[in-house]
Amino acid sequence: MTQEQAADETAGKATPAVPPIIECRGISRTFWRGKERLDVLDDLDLEIPTGAFEALMGPSGSGKSTLLNLIAGLDRVTRGTIKVAGHQLERMNDAALAKWRSQTVGFVFQHFNLIPVLTALENVELPLLLTRLGARERKERAAIALRVVGLEDRMHHLPTQLSGGQEQRVGIARSIVHDPKIIVADEPTGELDRQSADDVLNLLQRLNEEFGKTIVMVTHDPAAAERAQVQRKLDKGRLT
Amino acid sequence: MIPISYNLRSLRVRTATTLATALGVGLVVFVLAAALMLSDGLQRTLNLGGSDDAAIVLRKGADGELSSSIEDNVLGIISAAPGVRKNQQGQPLAIGEVVMVVQMWTQDGRGQSNVLVRGVPERVLEFRPQVKILEGRPAKVGTTEVIVGRGILGRFENLELGGEIELRKNVRAQVVGVFDAGGSSYESEVWGDLFVVRDAFGRDGAVSSVRVRLDSPEQFEGFEAAVELDPRLALQAIPEPRFLKEQSQGTADFISAIGISVTVFFSIGAMIGAMITMYGAVSSRSSEVGVLRALGFSRLTILLSFLLESLLLSLAGAVLGVVAALALSAVELSILNFQTFSEMVFRFHLTSETVLVAALLGAGMGILGGFLPAVRAARVSPIEAMRG
Amino acid sequence: MRLLDLAVKNVRRNRLRTALTVAGVATAILAFVFLRTGITAWTSAADNAAADRLSTSHRVTFIMPLPKRYIEYFDGTRGRFEGVDAAAYAVWFGARHPVQTDQFFANFAVQAETFFDVYPDMIVPPQDLARWKETRRGAVVGQALAQKFGWKIGDIVRLEGTIYPGEWEFEVSAIYETKTRAVDRSQFVFHWDYLNESLPEPQRGQIGWIATRVSDPTRSAAIITAIDAKFEGFDVQTRTVTEKAAQTQFLAGFSALLRALDVVSVVILLIMMLILGNTIAMGVRERTREYGVLMALGFRPHHIAVFVVGEALAVGLLGGVLGLMLAYPIIQYGMGRWLEENMGAFFPYFRIPPHVSLVALGLSALLATIAAVLPALAASRLNATEALRRLG
Repeated sequence: MTQEQAADETAGKATPAVPPIIECRGISRTFWRGKERLDVLDDLDLEIPTGAFEALMGPSGSGKSTLLNLIAGLDRVTRGTIKVAGHQLERMNDAALAKWRSQTVGFVFQHFNLIPVLTALENVELPLLLTRLGARERKERAAIALRVVGLEDRMHHLPTQLSGGQEQRVGIARSIVHDPKIIVADEPTGELDRQSADDVLNLLQRLNEEFGKTIVMVTHDPAAAERAQVQRKLDKGRLT
Repeated sequence: MIPISYNLRSLRVRTATTLATALGVGLVVFVLAAALMLSDGLQRTLNLGGSDDAAIVLRKGADGELSSSIEDNVLGIISAAPGVRKNQQGQPLAIGEVVMVVQMWTQDGRGQSNVLVRGVPERVLEFRPQVKILEGRPAKVGTTEVIVGRGILGRFENLELGGEIELRKNVRAQVVGVFDAGGSSYESEVWGDLFVVRDAFGRDGAVSSVRVRLDSPEQFEGFEAAVELDPRLALQAIPEPRFLKEQSQGTADFISAIGISVTVFFSIGAMIGAMITMYGAVSSRSSEVGVLRALGFSRLTILLSFLLESLLLSLAGAVLGVVAALALSAVELSILNFQTFSEMVFRFHLTSETVLVAALLGAGMGILGGFLPAVRAARVSPIEAMRG
Repeated sequence: MRLLDLAVKNVRRNRLRTALTVAGVATAILAFVFLRTGITAWTSAADNAAADRLSTSHRVTFIMPLPKRYIEYFDGTRGRFEGVDAAAYAVWFGARHPVQTDQFFANFAVQAETFFDVYPDMIVPPQDLARWKETRRGAVVGQALAQKFGWKIGDIVRLEGTIYPGEWEFEVSAIYETKTRAVDRSQFVFHWDYLNESLPEPQRGQIGWIATRVSDPTRSAAIITAIDAKFEGFDVQTRTVTEKAAQTQFLAGFSALLRALDVVSVVILLIMMLILGNTIAMGVRERTREYGVLMALGFRPHHIAVFVVGEALAVGLLGGVLGLMLAYPIIQYGMGRWLEENMGAFFPYFRIPPHVSLVALGLSALLATIAAVLPALAASRLNATEALRRLG
């Protein structure tokens, strides 16, 4: 829960019931490999409240990344309903999902996935190209996002000129520049050394506590999982 | 919507591949541009010899000056036709000329080839003000002196200032001057006195063609009607620009046809080259594409972006090709003109139309070659990004 | 499984790219074969010119006529030339079809009695020939020309004169075939007398050239000298050349164009090398890590080079073979036929010469190897550990 809610509770105020920002009901995701059928997720229910910072853990093949993809609107459920930030994702077509992602979701990838020919600033600016903002405003916002992650002085560097940790921080800046409601992080510290991993996790915590972003994170790293408020475990497509 | 700098920088990063593909496109564009420039150069050289207000009269049915013959007394009738301009002394601007083709030995060892010899009257320079004597002096009327066009100078034995050529046995002509004719086909000719030339070839009493200057181009129809009126005279009048165009059409079309058919093959090859390169680009950047899709860029945007990249690549190649073709402008060529069977010297000529066609060809190769790879890029699923 | 097999198996790795590269090479080979065949076909007129035929015309210009009586020095009336078996005079008529004016074909007026003795490679059935000789306004027409205009024996046809103006009427008496495909099958030949009697008095009695057939081609030079010497002192001198020399001279006028086509056929080979080289280089870049693995396993640099070159060779040869397989139907039977029919005067014989096919195949292999040299060198110089670290 957010600091605000905690404070309210201590103050004795009753917090009004806020609907969860993510509501999955009976979702299944089946893959077909030739004639072979893989039920990666099977009849799963999940609710994540607004402003939460949750970690999804589990062995490989457990379906955690698949679940993350579904929540982020990158993939579609085979069965069930999934409501995120007020939108029923299973009813939306490709184009609608794309637009929804550009407004609602921020991504942090394990392999950073910065575009190598663009500078840090230009990479962060990318999500804003899908809005109606003018060039100057876009650059200003991107600079601000970079300031938040502490890389303003490197804004004109190319990804090849940045360290792994710096690249991931640029990735985080990119994930917040368009002010999304949810940040989705897939093994954000998977390729980082301990120090950089800590920096990244500190940032994520700050985004959650200061900026109120809901964060859903898939991770192997126990140190990362500890930063989340809630840790969920998946095994063979089911929450345990 | 994806900034063009993304495409430009992506092209620059894969330098070798980009260069190789652009070069391939450039070569194709070069070949096409060269063929068109050759064809245009040929036509331009011929067209430069004409004026809007001039008309040429040939015998009816003749397809050129070589196969035409007009009796001397008819010249008076033609000069008196309506629309013919008069000079300050009141004389009609009409001249009759005789055209012969003479075999001479080439200077570069190719053997023998044909040179056009034109027997011209005294007033020829008055009639063609664009002709200037570059070296030496004009030939004296009534003598065996001749002047040589700048283009043909030195290409045949003895065809130089001070040289002597044989028109026929015992008829020797001295080269006393070199003339410039504004880059037209006249520069591939040798000019001598009308009466001397036709006498040397036993063609007394007739000329090959009559040229007149009209008061204005609009006067042509009246002139034509008057000249073609009497069927016994059997004459045909043609505006000089159209006549020259027809003279070069056959050869020019032939060259264009070769150029275009060759280009068709070549452009398929270059297009395949572009396709291979773009497929390579798409596959090596599939995780980038995945990210873009994840961030919310639509499939169409991605398709257009890669299509644009292919277009940029091929247009760069097209520019290279045109620039290389430009270098050809300095080259002077001689070719046997089908119509006159004599050698004609001309240059490659670049027109804005050729540049446009070259650009379109380049663009076409880029779009056709890049289309399928762009479609594949658009199909990349965002989940690819997760896998990195 | 030998090294080369492994190299060839690599070809199957990225099928689309391999297919495209093969297609690219095939297209280049097609273009190359087309160009070389075109050049050969055009110059073949000179190569296939009869070795035993001479042509005597006005020394200074082909426009000027020879007096008709000159033939009397060939046919025995006033003399003969030793070694000359048959002689016939002819005049270029230069007419065209009244409707299809842009379809060029050679037409001339000839000495009927002896013309086909001098040109035995134009084959006319004996009865038709006899009939033609009897028919004043008869014409002997080439097989290809008859087909193009839809003429049959017995048809009355009209031609529009240019040098000799007016509409000229002829009757198709015979159709000639040729022994070799290299001879123009679209010519039109008629009686000189028919032309001559229709001309006004001052223009009569003139011929364009005299064609002769000699019994021994090795003695052509001597005969040429004898003929030209005979007319040296006359008012109109002659110039005699072998038919081959005349054709060669005609082609020389286009030497600039032919040289340009030579250059262009090299250009297409360059394009082909660029496509191949590009593809191979891309493949090498992608497989860097694998080469590292192979070297770690103990393969030596020259093995790696062999992989690269082997793959290039396989693709090049595949493309070359495909290109050749397409060349025959497209070029020889498709375009070749069209050219023979519509431009028979320039391309009477459009066949892919066997040496062109062999050269094309050889070039595709050679150039593939050359294109692979740089990428092969780069691949073989890879440092194993570096290669393993690189992410593909």
